[in-house]
Amino acid sequence: MPILFVAVCAMVAPADQGEEANAKIKAIYIYNFTKYIEWPDEYKHGNFVVGVIGNNSALLGELNKMASTKTVGAQKFEIKSISSVADAAQCHIVYILNESSAQLPDVIGKTKGKSALIVTDKDGLATKGSAINFVIIENKQKIELNKSNIEKYKLKVAAQLVEMAVAVK
Amino acid sequence: MIAFVSNAQQTEVQAAYTFLQQGDLDKSKAAIDAAVLHAETAEDAQAWYVRGFVYKEIYKQKEKTNKQSPMRLEALNSFKKSLSLDKSDENVQENVKNIKYLATTLFNDAKDCLDDVDYKIAIIDFDKFIEYYALVDSSPANIQQRKIEFNLAIASVYTKIFESDKQNKLEFLSLAKSTYAKVLDVEPNNISANYNMGILYYNQAVNLINQSDYDLDIVALSDIQDNSIKLFKESLPFMEKAYSLDPKRRETLLGLSGIYFSLNEFEKSNSFKMKLEEIEKQK
Repeated sequence: MPILFVAVCAMVAPADQGEEANAKIKAIYIYNFTKYIEWPDEYKHGNFVVGVIGNNSALLGELNKMASTKTVGAQKFEIKSISSVADAAQCHIVYILNESSAQLPDVIGKTKGKSALIVTDKDGLATKGSAINFVIIENKQKIELNKSNIEKYKLKVAAQLVEMAVAVK
Repeated sequence: MIAFVSNAQQTEVQAAYTFLQQGDLDKSKAAIDAAVLHAETAEDAQAWYVRGFVYKEIYKQKEKTNKQSPMRLEALNSFKKSLSLDKSDENVQENVKNIKYLATTLFNDAKDCLDDVDYKIAIIDFDKFIEYYALVDSSPANIQQRKIEFNLAIASVYTKIFESDKQNKLEFLSLAKSTYAKVLDVEPNNISANYNMGILYYNQAVNLINQSDYDLDIVALSDIQDNSIKLFKESLPFMEKAYSLDPKRRETLLGLSGIYFSLNEFEKSNSFKMKLEEIEKQK
């Protein structure tokens, strides 16, 4: 009797790929924020800083890949993993990951008077001070947008972004 | 070797055998080819048996490394013809023995050719193997099992070819899917086919996202998400079937965790991750 074929299963690590794919979607969203939101003139010099509060290596990886190929006008991206909330004041975008959501009030405090776009990742936070909140609707990554929480930081948001988001007051 | 019955035209057959014993394959071939064309011996089981033997020797001595040996096929056809002409035990036994030997070489060559360069030869050789193996093994279950194993192996080759160049080798993704589908048609509970089909859809979904540029507009991103969600959901039934067949299989648990994570169903994703951790703790 001939020896059997050995059927080799595909040796892919699906869980890792899932995290990377989700991170890619978030990175694309964040790049889009820079296209549809305008920062005051004094923020258009030096690097465009995106600070991430929380631990997500896949996300940081994707943001760094984005930073290596994209710019905001003439500004290069700088991606920072923030361990101290005080550093949020130096960021154009502060992205608070889900597990660090409790730090939102502190971030709001530190960025008062600054022009920082606060992005969060937990249900309800767009009503608690964040400008843009990532939400899942029918398995899809979408955004909630609180226009007044954008404008209070002297940021201007294009109507197209407001229309594409879920409005929150 | 069958004993010769002496008559006028059997002389050619006997001559072929004698030349074979003397090692003169060319003369042996000429004699036996003439014999099977002649009216008296064209339907003689013995003549066709000898022809099979002669061509088998030519294959062994001159074409053993040729994965597409024509001499081997001629030998097989000759033994097959002999088998059809005389169903006596002795004739059957001799022919079956030789068909088995040559069919096995086809199988082995098919196995050797299971790569991204020679896969078409693998398919030809395997099809031939099945054709002749069916003559010597009348159990449909054995034949079906061989087909399943081969299809799993060739689907894996197709997947590899696709993965090597996802932009330009898209047809191999379809080939892989249709091959796994063939397996599942006859064996719906085949765990490898279920798992691998699930992975194919999953990877297709992930690739869709990973190939997107960061510059992609939010509206276009929404379309990409719609398409990838559809693919993730297509992968689920296969992966869940694989899970039902073996709930402790590591790859399946990882697969389900990944699919649910990609669907943003984090509780379900974590539950499979925790099941995996439990299993690994018990090892």
